[in-house]
Amino acid sequence: MSDVANRRTAHVVDCAGVSRTYQEDAVPVQALRDVDFQFSRGEFASLSGPSGSGKSTLLNLIGGLDRADEGAIAVDGVALNRLSESELSDLRLRRIGFVFQSYNLIPVLSAQENVEFIMQLQGVARGERAEQAVECLASLGIAELARRRPGELSGGQQQRVAIARAIVTDPVLLLADEPSANLDSGTTEELLKLLRRLNHERGISILTATHDPMVMSYAKRRVVLRDGAIVEDSAH
Amino acid sequence: MPIKLLLQMSLRNILRHRRRNGMMLAAVVVAVAAVVLMNSMIRGMQQDMADAAVENLVGHVKVLAPGYRDDPGIARNFALAGDWRPPDGAPEVAGWAMRVRVPAVIMSERGTRGIQFVGVNPAQEGISFLSSARMVGESLKDASDGRIIIGQALAEQLETGLGRRLVIITQGADGLNREAGFRIAGLYDADGEGMEGFFVFTGVGALQEMVGAEVFTELSIRLHEEPALFALKDALVEVFTGLEVLDWRELEPQAAAMFVFADAAVLIWFFVMMGALVFGLVNTLVTSVMERIRELGMLRAVGMRPRSVVAQVVIESSALMLIGVAVGIALGLAAVFAMGDGLDLSLWSEGVESFGMRTLLRPVPLVDDVLLIALLSLGLGVVASLYPAWRAIKVKPLEALRR
Amino acid sequence: MAEISAEVPASRGSAGLRASVLAMAWRNLWRNPRRTWLMAGGIAFAIWMLAFSFALQKGAFDVMADNGARLWLGHAQVQHPDFEDEPLLEHLIADVPRLRRSVEALDGVVAAAPRAEATALVSAGERSFGALVVGVEAASEARWSGLADAVASGGYLDGSGQAFVGAAMARNLGLSVGDEMVMLGTAKAGGVAAAVAEVVGVFSTGSAGLDRSLALIPIADFRAAWNLAPEEAHRLVVVVDDLGEALDTAQAAAAAAAAPLRVLDWHALMPEVKQFIDLKVAGLYFLFAIIAIIVTFSVVNAFLMTLFERTAEFGMLKAIGMRPGGILGQLQFEALLLWALGAVVGVGVTMGLVLWLGAMGMPMPIDPNEVMPGLNMPDRIHPSMGWGLVLAACLTLLAGTQLALLAPAVRLRRLNCVQALRTPE
Repeated sequence: MSDVANRRTAHVVDCAGVSRTYQEDAVPVQALRDVDFQFSRGEFASLSGPSGSGKSTLLNLIGGLDRADEGAIAVDGVALNRLSESELSDLRLRRIGFVFQSYNLIPVLSAQENVEFIMQLQGVARGERAEQAVECLASLGIAELARRRPGELSGGQQQRVAIARAIVTDPVLLLADEPSANLDSGTTEELLKLLRRLNHERGISILTATHDPMVMSYAKRRVVLRDGAIVEDSAH
Repeated sequence: MPIKLLLQMSLRNILRHRRRNGMMLAAVVVAVAAVVLMNSMIRGMQQDMADAAVENLVGHVKVLAPGYRDDPGIARNFALAGDWRPPDGAPEVAGWAMRVRVPAVIMSERGTRGIQFVGVNPAQEGISFLSSARMVGESLKDASDGRIIIGQALAEQLETGLGRRLVIITQGADGLNREAGFRIAGLYDADGEGMEGFFVFTGVGALQEMVGAEVFTELSIRLHEEPALFALKDALVEVFTGLEVLDWRELEPQAAAMFVFADAAVLIWFFVMMGALVFGLVNTLVTSVMERIRELGMLRAVGMRPRSVVAQVVIESSALMLIGVAVGIALGLAAVFAMGDGLDLSLWSEGVESFGMRTLLRPVPLVDDVLLIALLSLGLGVVASLYPAWRAIKVKPLEALRR
Repeated sequence: MAEISAEVPASRGSAGLRASVLAMAWRNLWRNPRRTWLMAGGIAFAIWMLAFSFALQKGAFDVMADNGARLWLGHAQVQHPDFEDEPLLEHLIADVPRLRRSVEALDGVVAAAPRAEATALVSAGERSFGALVVGVEAASEARWSGLADAVASGGYLDGSGQAFVGAAMARNLGLSVGDEMVMLGTAKAGGVAAAVAEVVGVFSTGSAGLDRSLALIPIADFRAAWNLAPEEAHRLVVVVDDLGEALDTAQAAAAAAAAPLRVLDWHALMPEVKQFIDLKVAGLYFLFAIIAIIVTFSVVNAFLMTLFERTAEFGMLKAIGMRPGGILGQLQFEALLLWALGAVVGVGVTMGLVLWLGAMGMPMPIDPNEVMPGLNMPDRIHPSMGWGLVLAACLTLLAGTQLALLAPAVRLRRLNCVQALRTPE
């Protein structure tokens, strides 16, 4: 990995001619057709479109959770289609942060332990780990929740912990799949302000798939998909 | 709620988690198959012990003079016509033998041994091991044959062989010792070395002549089937007033006690296996209930009675057991038939013989036992479903729906 | 675990990771306490079944073997090389006193007693029977021999001209204490051996063979009648204080004997007892094997349920970059802890029962000596732990519970995290 680790390109994400077809109950469904998409460092973009438009598929492909049938995807200059499963795991671990719709925290670990967990996977030493986790939780305004387990947290609090987990490792790219789907509008707004701040202050590149207009309004770039193709790509 | 619908729902719930219920089924099958196999082996042992006890000159029923058991000797005798027949033709009787059996001393040039000297009518001995034992040389011709048959082991101990003469000393009917020479007609090879060193046979007429009395010391009767025993015993008590009429359980208390032991072993095996099974079964059922808590809450909300909820869980458990028991029994019986020739226990031959068993263990599956195992297993299925069912009716409709 | 560690630079934090994975596994176990207890209960049941049955049987077997040995044959014997197969009068140990001194000098030997024996015609009045007449050193044997304790009437030998006979023989010959009996046999070098003795005691052991055919007389009387030299005998019977060391002691005894002699330990002297024990243990192993399979199936099932319920969690772990091996490692720790819980409970319950019953003894449901006389079963069992077997049982189930992860491991490898993440928690 070291040969690619230091190579920097202007684009964090570079998709060229990407297609993906699923077999759904033996019926082939073309989720993406020949999509070209570039995403630069420091951008905050939303992928939107109706259900089945392919926005989640594109996000999953970029996150290395799924593989394209055709076309090339490069994340941080690394061509994903050439990576083995375990190299993909490593890429996700070290360069990509994930925020999921239903938070997906580990229920038996406290907030701080959840944040530390990913650093443990990376092999960060114990002292450093705790320090970074506490700092990260504090920067998201939930330092006092560090010892609580997910079951004892509200949805918005859980999502903040999930964001802390995603950004604590300093990923080049933060992927958020419907981050606001389970939150009320007040909480969503707080969450979005937080994301915008992270984007501004730390320069984290954020790509989110959503159909929530409020999320779209906070993103600086708006990409709309329909029937597996990009139909609109505008900055505002 | 109609039973048919309940049944349908329960079965579909089983099918919903094929892998999990498949695993559970596999465990039930292994347990039931092992119980069937072990049960057949234990029954095989039992039958072996009983057969060996009965064949060992005992028979199912024996008539003896009072006191013979404590002081076996020619003094404890009874007279019986040579052409005696069991009462009323007795169709359940497989055969009978009238014998004279006395303690004696046998001597060769090389050694002296204490033995049981048995006078037999060879035509009647189809009922004892004598007719089936491997024989070197000749068998006795008839009741008046004055030669003897001894065991291989005794021949080795006395360093003698076919055609040689041995001296036998025993007490006569008058209380005085008699001594006579006998020629060895044949050597028998019995399953147990104990018998070979112990029993010496001659014609019953020859032995009666030696002791000087036309009497017998025992009448041994063998049946086709054991259940006829009690009726026959009663009939014999009527005929032989003043004599002791004993069945093999009284004559061989060891073998009879082993019989009881084996009955208990069958049940112990069953409960140990099922004990191991019950943990997994309860876990499977409870999980299945907990996963459906929303569904059950909804059913309760729309008016399903607690009784029907219980029925669903019980049916689910019973259906699982029913399939497992059926396949398990089939597999167990297949294993029994696969080892139809028997299991070779000769590695432990002396230990096995000390139980009165043969070294080749042939499993004997009994219909009654298999049915019992099936019924008990199904009963266990119901018992194991009680706790999960109780969990299921504890669900409050609203709470479950809110989850 | 290996996979996680491999990702981690060896110098940094892997010990901390392992500790917290263990803590995490422990917490995961208690997400579903009912299931955990049920599975640990299954494991405990299997261990308890094997360990306790074996403890009971070991308690019975040890006493059985020891009683059997002390009844008559001893824990070991030294004999002329051919005597066991061909018990002839001529097959003698030439210098018994010297052999006896060296055997008695061995550690753990309680007693060593010489015996001489021959079959003879025993008569009383008009009745005669064949019997095994054995010359014994009464003073030595009275201290340990079970026969001396099995007196039905009269007492044990304590002087010359006496005989101690089996109950069945006494009955057959019409003998009672105080009667005279005559023994006739063939002496060494072909002469007639004849002896007259007064019956001082009758024994009843329940073993038909002994009760029917055994007559004991003082060894000096035997030597005189059968024409043996004072230092000659057929067997030197050895009694030790620890049954488990009988074989070693017997071998040491053989080494101590300068002449070519044969040593038999209780396995060889009482093959029926040894085989009876082996047969029972084999049956127990079979039972345990089946139970281990059943319990393993149940554990597989429980892990499949866990996997099913935690699909979303595992999908997330995979998504954030944990490899399937790492997730499996976590489950392995959970299986390990589950096993440990079951093992602790199983061994604990067994130990408790064994301690309790060991102190007071467990009565047998039916009198075993009626069922199998000659096997010398005790009427109360004092169970004793067989630690080797407990360990074997625990390790078997450890292997079973780890093996139980194979099915979940296959599913984990195939887990599609996109779909897994969509599964409701």
